[in-house]
Amino acid sequence: MAIGDATIVQRSMSARMFSTVTTVALVAVSVGLMLLLLSMKDSGRKSFERGIGNMHMLISRDSSPLVSVLNGVFYANPPANPITWQEFEGLRGSLRFPLVMIPTQQGDSYRGRPVMATVPEFFTDFEPVQGEPFEFASGEAFDAPFEVVVGSEAARAAVLSVGDTINLRHGGPRDPDAHVHDEYDYTVVGILEPTGSPHDRALFTDLTSSWTLHAHDRRLQEIGPDAVTTPDDLVDADKLITGIYGRAIGRPGSSGPPAYLPQVLVQLRRNPSFVVAEPSGEINRLFEIVGNIDKILIAMAGAVMASSAIAIMLAMYNSMEQRRRQIALLRVLGASRARIFRLVIVESALIGLIGAVLGTLVATVGGVVVAGVLEARLGLVVTPSFGWQLAGAVVGATVGLAVVAGLVPAIAGYKTSVVRNLRPLG
Amino acid sequence: MTKQAENPPALEIEGLRFRYAGANDDVIAIDGLTLAKGEQMLLTGGSGRGKSTLLHLIAGLIEPREGTVRVGGQAMHAIHGAKRDRFRGRQIGMVFQTHHLLPGFSALENVMVALTFSGVSRSTHRDLARKTLNDLGIDRVDADPGELSVGQQQRVAVARALVCGPALVLADEPTASLDPEAAAVAMDLMQNACREHGAALLCVSHDPAMASRFERRGELGALSATTVGGGVA
Repeated sequence: MAIGDATIVQRSMSARMFSTVTTVALVAVSVGLMLLLLSMKDSGRKSFERGIGNMHMLISRDSSPLVSVLNGVFYANPPANPITWQEFEGLRGSLRFPLVMIPTQQGDSYRGRPVMATVPEFFTDFEPVQGEPFEFASGEAFDAPFEVVVGSEAARAAVLSVGDTINLRHGGPRDPDAHVHDEYDYTVVGILEPTGSPHDRALFTDLTSSWTLHAHDRRLQEIGPDAVTTPDDLVDADKLITGIYGRAIGRPGSSGPPAYLPQVLVQLRRNPSFVVAEPSGEINRLFEIVGNIDKILIAMAGAVMASSAIAIMLAMYNSMEQRRRQIALLRVLGASRARIFRLVIVESALIGLIGAVLGTLVATVGGVVVAGVLEARLGLVVTPSFGWQLAGAVVGATVGLAVVAGLVPAIAGYKTSVVRNLRPLG
Repeated sequence: MTKQAENPPALEIEGLRFRYAGANDDVIAIDGLTLAKGEQMLLTGGSGRGKSTLLHLIAGLIEPREGTVRVGGQAMHAIHGAKRDRFRGRQIGMVFQTHHLLPGFSALENVMVALTFSGVSRSTHRDLARKTLNDLGIDRVDADPGELSVGQQQRVAVARALVCGPALVLADEPTASLDPEAAAVAMDLMQNACREHGAALLCVSHDPAMASRFERRGELGALSATTVGGGVA
């Protein structure tokens, strides 16, 4: 074995371990931040797109279509203004077009997870991801009151399985006035497979049991603490929903929305008391708003990358002062100026490469951490991931940047005076 | 072909002139100097008289104003760039006052680095470096230079200068940082090693005690006026 350029570079880096490690760490953080931002940007959009699935419209009484989608699909907050069951049936009967309409009601929770009351068709007619219907990891959909189906993430977090009994909390996850209804036991009858959508962290029960829960609060006030409420005690005022998932039925085999969809929307919007949102349009609008923030964040990441390149340049350039004697000696031993130039460039590129590879690992681990925080704090299910093409491009760009950063110190090395730097020390 | 062309001297200097930029006088003015193959010569002179400069000129590290330096028959300043660097690495070994061992490299690697730029077959580097170190009494070849005594570091520096089988070894005040006893040991080592490897030795020093070690001696100032040399060995 001979001593090659790689060994010389490696020894040079080892001899200045602190400087090398701190510079590599800075590059790693920069690359990690850049990759994380890029992956979060893409995965954030994907996450939102996955949540709306095959839904064409969402009808509610929220303050705006965007709020309607954030509340009704992404469980941001329980919708405040309900729709009565009579209104729902009136609406369904008035439409002249074939439309799947799935009523939903939110307002309850279980251990910080939202509960959506709906109908069994929610699991058959609504696909949380276009072309990917719900699948059960165990059990089946509810078909009687006080049965509950649990999303994959909620089941994992609350350690629930089929057959377990739970008590729901009347009130949203962040509602300070919420209270647990111990008097109504719910039985877990199904656990869903992961869908990669916000529905994974929700629980689903039927409308009748949810209405009964709410009616019981009313009856406690009317009758007193001895009140016992069953579905038979429900009155029309108890039968409230907060949203309607709508899907226009197209021709069999057709993947896109049917041509009559705009007419349906026009008809629905004639009633100003409803907010009729097109979820995909609202998501696009949302990303138009946050797109600028993305650009700012990516620009910031770029600035961090540039600063890490400057750090490489400074670290290498400063090391030149310490290495002039070493360079002069290598020259005496037969190394050409070009070889010295190349050694410095290779060292700079190697710092960039190691930093970039570590940065990729940082982004991978950081992505998991950030996704966990986003889900815990904002309820947003984001799965940050970046393909090898993106990682390769960022690593390549980093190495390129490191090579550019190495030019100034490499030129300094190239110009190092042998005669001046071989004078005796001291 | 003449005998000299077949077996050229280790060093030939003709009409060498050098002055620093902006200076009016030449600091080096040597009309002629020849060092035969394997010959050893001490060159003395006070501080600032250009002893190190002469070595740098011979090594092709700086350009003369005029004149020729031939090492092993090759005119040093007639070749340029990487070719000259490679030639220097192969044909000239240098030993300095401070040993200038590379930090972070073991004793063995310090010697192997010299072979890296020499054009010597890569497969032989490790064995060649190890043998040279062993011949000079260094058994702990994997030791960091910092773990070695000053005398051992000197041996590593000498091994590095000789490992490529150079025609000429240039020693620049090689004992200036050593006490008299250590200096004597170091000089014995270097002179014997050069003899064993067939390399000529040009040693510059201002140490008067060195004079007795060399049959051939010169004073830098005196070289300006006369042609000095033993001719072809």
